[in-house]
Amino acid sequence: MARHKNDILQGTLVLLVLKTLDARGPMHGYAITSHIQRVSSDLLRVEEGSLYPALHRMTQDGWLEAEWGTTEKNREAKFYTITTAGQKQLALEEESWTRLRTGVTRVLRYA
Amino acid sequence: MSWLGRLWNHLRDGAVSTEITREMRFHLAERADDLVASGMAPDAAQREARRRFGSLAYQGERTRERDLFGWLDTLIGDVRYAFRALRTAPAFATVAILSLALGIGANTAVFSVINALVLRSLPVNHPEELLAVVRGEGGTIFTNPLWEAIRDRQDVFSGVFATGMTNFNLTTGGEARRVDASMVSGDYFATLGVRPVAGRLIARADDYRGCPAVALLSEGFWSSHYSADPGAIGKSILLDGHPFNIIGVSDGRFFGVSVGQRPQLFVPLCTEKIIRGANSQLDERSSWFLEIVGRPKPGLTRAQIEARFATLAPDIIEATIPSHWPGEGLKYYRSAKFRVDGAARGFSFVRDTYAKALYVLMAIVGLVLLIACANVANLLLARATVRRREMAVRVALGAGRARLARQLITESLLLSSIGAVLGIAFAVWGSRLLVRLLSRGDEGVSLDLGVDPRILLFTIGVATLTGLLFGLVPAWRAGRVDPQAAMKAQGRGVAEGHSRFAMGKALVVAQVALSLVLIVGAGLLIGSWRKLATVDPGFRSEGVLLVQSDIRNTNTPPELRLALHQQMIDAVRRLPGVQSASGSQITPVGGSTWNDEFRTDSFTAKSDKDRMAWVNPVSDGYFRTLDIPILAGRDFDTRDTPTSSKVAIINEAMAKRFFATPAPVGQHFQKQQGDGWSEPIEVVGVVGTTKYRSMRDSAQPIVYFPRAQESPKAQEMAIEVRGTGGTTSLVPSITKAIAGINPNITLDITTLERQLAESLTIPRAIAMLSGFFGAIAVLLATIGLYGVMAYTVARRRNEIGVRIALGAEQSRVVRMVLGEVAAIVIAGVVVGAALSLGVTRLVTSFLYGMKPTDPGTLVWSAVVLVLVGLAAAALPARRAATLDPVAALREE
Repeated sequence: MARHKNDILQGTLVLLVLKTLDARGPMHGYAITSHIQRVSSDLLRVEEGSLYPALHRMTQDGWLEAEWGTTEKNREAKFYTITTAGQKQLALEEESWTRLRTGVTRVLRYA
Repeated sequence: MSWLGRLWNHLRDGAVSTEITREMRFHLAERADDLVASGMAPDAAQREARRRFGSLAYQGERTRERDLFGWLDTLIGDVRYAFRALRTAPAFATVAILSLALGIGANTAVFSVINALVLRSLPVNHPEELLAVVRGEGGTIFTNPLWEAIRDRQDVFSGVFATGMTNFNLTTGGEARRVDASMVSGDYFATLGVRPVAGRLIARADDYRGCPAVALLSEGFWSSHYSADPGAIGKSILLDGHPFNIIGVSDGRFFGVSVGQRPQLFVPLCTEKIIRGANSQLDERSSWFLEIVGRPKPGLTRAQIEARFATLAPDIIEATIPSHWPGEGLKYYRSAKFRVDGAARGFSFVRDTYAKALYVLMAIVGLVLLIACANVANLLLARATVRRREMAVRVALGAGRARLARQLITESLLLSSIGAVLGIAFAVWGSRLLVRLLSRGDEGVSLDLGVDPRILLFTIGVATLTGLLFGLVPAWRAGRVDPQAAMKAQGRGVAEGHSRFAMGKALVVAQVALSLVLIVGAGLLIGSWRKLATVDPGFRSEGVLLVQSDIRNTNTPPELRLALHQQMIDAVRRLPGVQSASGSQITPVGGSTWNDEFRTDSFTAKSDKDRMAWVNPVSDGYFRTLDIPILAGRDFDTRDTPTSSKVAIINEAMAKRFFATPAPVGQHFQKQQGDGWSEPIEVVGVVGTTKYRSMRDSAQPIVYFPRAQESPKAQEMAIEVRGTGGTTSLVPSITKAIAGINPNITLDITTLERQLAESLTIPRAIAMLSGFFGAIAVLLATIGLYGVMAYTVARRRNEIGVRIALGAEQSRVVRMVLGEVAAIVIAGVVVGAALSLGVTRLVTSFLYGMKPTDPGTLVWSAVVLVLVGLAAAALPARRAATLDPVAALREE
């Protein structure tokens, strides 16, 4: 599986996307970007281009389902919904994130 | 998304691209809108949106790649990884691949023979169009007058031909060298669309009454007898002593229309007259020896063709009526309708005989493959324990359960694919061996066993199915690993270990059960064969030479044939080393039979079959030569001449059925003759009951007539010779003695023992193969059993260590381990016994003197399995008993 350099973010990107969709229900890609940016008070900025490969990958893994729909502005957009498998994955990702953060924090504190 | 869905994406490449572009365009538009809303000029907003997004083309490409090539990429990765995984466990991989190769190979081998014999179409032009002409209830054999009448009157076929198998003797006297040949009518090759490899084929112009003798060689015969020399064409070849002019060579892939036979030569039908002379069957209205096949004119349906035949039938029938037939037969002859049947797969006399045996073999090798599957599944489960850490690491790194399962399925499929590739190689060899095993010496089966798409498809199907069968459960279980527990426990987690263990046990129980079915089947088949091989035939076959003679080439007039035959018998009797000799028309279990209807005053037949008895015209000394006891009365002798009163010797079974007394010497019976009954025939002797047609015969009635009275004009006679020493040493002197009488007499020499053994070829082959595969099954089950027990002992090291430390005796530990094995084996035996009671009924027709539910065989098989099971457990049990408790506990 070809990995790209900006995958550094991809691990957390998956977590963020899953969390967003889990909390907010079906959304299109642009809304996901805006949501993450807004909720994180602009601390996190999704690299917009890399969002779509990630979304497609997650769809393939069965974590998301995609469907075409219309926005309020009457534009056609692809809406993503989290699946049960996605929710399980979210739990796993959250747990490993917590572990990572605890670990990193400890290292920073005691090293 | 399913693979299919991805493949679909692949196909509508353009559609995917536009969809992705649409999705990204939407994103850009939204971004631009937001920027405009925050006060940017529309133009600048557009540009800014593009800048932030990065390269639209690049991101689009990456996204598309995910959709299109993601799965292919993953697949290649999976296969590469699977290869690496297998390389790290060479012992496992070898055992798994070999057992799969054997299982898949055996299945492919049996299937290729079934394919060649039953399924495959003839290698000719559009075989599916060919239609065989059928008369009455499926009769495909016609007389030459019927063929000519049909040929001259039909207007439904664009090409139609008749053909019959025969054989020719390549020598002019002495011991015969026979080759199979086809007599073919003129349009044979044109209708089938076969090409010559040298010279020309037989054409319509070669086939007319009074035609010259020409012959076409098969490619095989051309290479073996003429070293494929083109100069052979135009040369002369002697067939049954008649010179034939060689006109060409036919394509080697073509074997005629009889599957299982392979004619070495083809001659025009009209040359039958040259070979048989006055005995020609071309004008005989009751000599049935031709098959008729046609290619219909375009657009004609079978119904139309049959309707046309119905119109033509009265004319055809009237022109060919066998006038001397009795009334009953004529009525049938007149009423028989003509039909047509698909002839794409050709004719086959061996098909029915062998197909049944092959289906039994298919079932056997199918079971072996199932057992191999269980074995590999078990090995995979054992490996799963070893690989728990690896799986845990992958789960921790974010691999989904489906992803892991797919990886493991890929490994399973890789295993079965390698097994299949080796299996095909094994099958190419195995199918040839199979045909050799199934072929009787005198009627060798020749099949085209080349690997064709159907065989490949079969093997791929079997391999995929096997891979899924043994791979699914381990794959499903692998995903359930809990990464944290697995990493911590170093693969000693009790909970998972236990369920994996239960699964492994269940698989071994299944293996034992299936093995039992196979051993019971093998036991029944081997037992039946042994009974058949040792059953008392009523005569003594050891030391008897059979000399099949043919005086056709001597051109002896009918009235002198009896004397010539007597002269031959006398010549053999005079030879040193000959104890006794006799002549007969039929030899026991030799393939040819003769039966007739009989009646006596004291016997009322319940059915037509009841009136039937076997017939054999013999000379004096026949019973002495074969060691058949004369129970009452006398043997034939010089008193019994063609003109003396009619006499017969009957066997005990005949006496019981027709006379209700064991020794009806002096009483009379009648034989069916035309519409009525013959003059009374006197019983002059009663002999012991013998096998006539096959070793499976029950006690059946046989009537022996003096050759002088029943077939004095026959051209063929079998001479039975009992020697004082070895039988084969007599061959040269017999050949010489007969040649001294007339060098044109041809001889086919075999021994009675070989003739009996050849009649048991199929039961013997099936017994051998079922025994072989039964042994393989037991071996696989033993490996499975050993694996599970070794694993149990390893897993319970601590517990056993504690037990020993607390004072448990070695014998107790051994008993504990063996007890577990016994439980598994007994569970397997119980399931297997129930299964085999249902399954063995399928081989009933191959059994002799045994019921499919034979309790002895079942018990015997169970005992074998239990013993083998205990042997498999011996090593692990020993290891457990001699465990050093200190070492075991320190590991904790």
